[in-house]
Amino acid sequence: MLSRAALSLFWMARYLERAESLVRLLDVSLTMGLIDVPEDRQEQLSVPLLVTGSRDTYSSLHNELTPHSLIEFLLLDSRHSGSVYSIICNARDNALQVRGNLSADVWESINLTWLELKEMRTNGVTESSAGQAFDWIRARSHVFRGAAYGTLLRNDAFRFLRLGTFVERADTTARVLDIRYWLASQSDSEEASRPFFEWNALLQSLAAFEAYQTIYGYTPDAMNVAELLILNEDVPRSLHACLKEIAGLLEQIEGDRGRGAKRLATSLYANVKYGDRDYIKHRGLGPYLEDFIVRIQGIADRIETDYMGWQRS
Amino acid sequence: MRIEKAPPTLYDEIFDKEHRARPHCRGLEQWLEQADEALLAEKRREADVLFRRLGVTFNVYGEDEGIDRLIPFDLIPRVLSAADWQRLQVGLRQRVNALNRFLHDIYHGYEIIRAGVIPAEQVFANPQYQPGMQNLKVPRNIYAHIAGIDLIRHNDGEFYVLEDNLRCPSGVSYMLENRRMMMRLFPELFARMPVAPVDHYPSLLGETLKAASLQTNPTVVLLTPGRFNSAYFEHAFLARQMGIELVEGADLFVRENRVFMKTTAGPRAVDVIYRRVDDEFIDPLAGNPESMLGVPGLYAAYRCGNVVLANAMGNGVADDKSIYPFVPEMIRFYLGEEPVLRNVPTWQCRLEQDLKYVLDNLEQLVVKEAQGAGGYGMLIGPSASRAELDNFRAALKARPEHYIAQPTLSLSSSPTFVGNGIAPRHLDLRPFVLSGKKVQMVPGGLTRVALREGSLVVNSSQGGGTKDTWVLESPSC
Repeated sequence: MLSRAALSLFWMARYLERAESLVRLLDVSLTMGLIDVPEDRQEQLSVPLLVTGSRDTYSSLHNELTPHSLIEFLLLDSRHSGSVYSIICNARDNALQVRGNLSADVWESINLTWLELKEMRTNGVTESSAGQAFDWIRARSHVFRGAAYGTLLRNDAFRFLRLGTFVERADTTARVLDIRYWLASQSDSEEASRPFFEWNALLQSLAAFEAYQTIYGYTPDAMNVAELLILNEDVPRSLHACLKEIAGLLEQIEGDRGRGAKRLATSLYANVKYGDRDYIKHRGLGPYLEDFIVRIQGIADRIETDYMGWQRS
Repeated sequence: MRIEKAPPTLYDEIFDKEHRARPHCRGLEQWLEQADEALLAEKRREADVLFRRLGVTFNVYGEDEGIDRLIPFDLIPRVLSAADWQRLQVGLRQRVNALNRFLHDIYHGYEIIRAGVIPAEQVFANPQYQPGMQNLKVPRNIYAHIAGIDLIRHNDGEFYVLEDNLRCPSGVSYMLENRRMMMRLFPELFARMPVAPVDHYPSLLGETLKAASLQTNPTVVLLTPGRFNSAYFEHAFLARQMGIELVEGADLFVRENRVFMKTTAGPRAVDVIYRRVDDEFIDPLAGNPESMLGVPGLYAAYRCGNVVLANAMGNGVADDKSIYPFVPEMIRFYLGEEPVLRNVPTWQCRLEQDLKYVLDNLEQLVVKEAQGAGGYGMLIGPSASRAELDNFRAALKARPEHYIAQPTLSLSSSPTFVGNGIAPRHLDLRPFVLSGKKVQMVPGGLTRVALREGSLVVNSSQGGGTKDTWVLESPSC
């Protein structure tokens, strides 16, 4: 398929996945902020900023970290390129570029999200209406996924779109896990219940709470959570599940251009597929995740240069 | 609901002079009489929401706010009888055949010029004439693969051709989307009236584009100027419907006079380009060097016969308003037939006695730029102010060869939903004619309607809207 179209599909899907992740993250942080003691509230609120690396942008626009301004900043602020508003705008822009490759259902799902989001922005979102807004964005993300799954031809266009989804998802899972792990390990001395809340929040924001309960059935602890979100192939947002998809999709893409991307992806896939608790424990969860984040970024870059990096020659 | 009827001096598409529905329009009349205003208003809002979600929007040049505007859609269809369409089809086929013959001739043997039917300077001095096309063999001698012929019906009930569009005619996506919308909003109407389908247009177009190359299974792409172009929606729509790649200039490159597209599996050869980019911008090495929309080297590849452009380069000379008056003569010259469709009588201001007549009768005439389009740079005498008339008079004297003039035709009208009821509004018709192995068209076209009361300008950039166009199938109509 056309390289430019592949690039747009890849990014369109990344952005849409990003919007959903951001909303899950924000939702959980706001809820945790309510449960937590006041001094930790700030810390909870800052999690989405830490995960998305937008703390500096935030402080350049706001003096205080309050739920209200956090919602404003992460949901609707057009000055912040990482807000849901900006992300959906980018997704829609990319979708517009590849309208020729999208089914009407997929295009309309994205375009409608954009039109309604603009309306939402005009009406504003308050702390009390934020829950509704989060639900709506999650639902729109499901509609997109459903439309893509149910109506797109299984060709390279579909594969590049799915690649975008899983690259973004793997990156998000690793980042959220990394930050939450770090927060949990910061505070174990003061309060016994604190790590519990952290793990809970982590599982909630990756939509894996029920999965954890089903599989482990006990109070979350660091290594169980790590095992679930890194190694368990059946958890939709685990690193293993994402890498399996990425490696599989690359395998199916037509042509011989993606050797570099395939090599990197297969190697990282092997790492999670054949990794185990002891290996991760031995390396340390923090270093393990930081290495993973660098490598998934490397795969994303390599996909772009292999398939889309046309130089006029 | 209250239906305001057109005065008897006008031709109305639905009602006759006695304000009775024409025989083929009785079903529509019943529907209109039963229609309830609130329901129609509701349906109109629904249509707006659907069009917006679909993204059927356009941009108006020179208007910042114009990004993503909807073309107003009128819910009341324009209806053509089977007999009307039969006649139109014969006339359109004839006309497009003659125009293709003309284009081939002016780039090869120049017979029509040598026969003295068309003055040489009208062809060779025309800025749209491409000397580079001389003696270039194009498959099947087809230049205008896709033609959009603008027609109006005068108060004598006859159809007249207003303009031939042989470069990049647009609007066909509205024809298709309007139909889809009507079927969704008023399914019961389709059960009542035998409306001929139009939705096979993309497959006919695909067939036509494949036939534009002599290869067995050519790779066809659609070249768009990109998403800021006013017709981008249409480009994406057609590409998707035909299952071909929608490419921009930067997606293509030329190597050793072959055109390739940049795909994820490497370079892929392109055989036919359905281009929606104008001649001037298609290749910065041949046309406008500033063009970012084109492909360097494309014209050379085309001239080597390695790629087919649809439509061909250099078609502009045949749809220019200064060539228009000669089309009936072309039909007689190339086909030996009498033209089925009429031309609007046209005064060519380059001719001394025509200019004199135009200047003396400016208040009654429509004056157009020979190379203008989109309803810009046009004077409608009867509705012009003194200052506008004076301006045009001066312009005509300064550069007479740039203008043509025509009598002010009374475009036919059709009942249109205007908010406080139904009233007659003027309209035109643009059928799309495809030339491949044979000349084909779907029954219908794009109907544009001037929504302002009394207005004769149907262009979407100037307050025009669209209607669904129904050709009725029953031979009894």
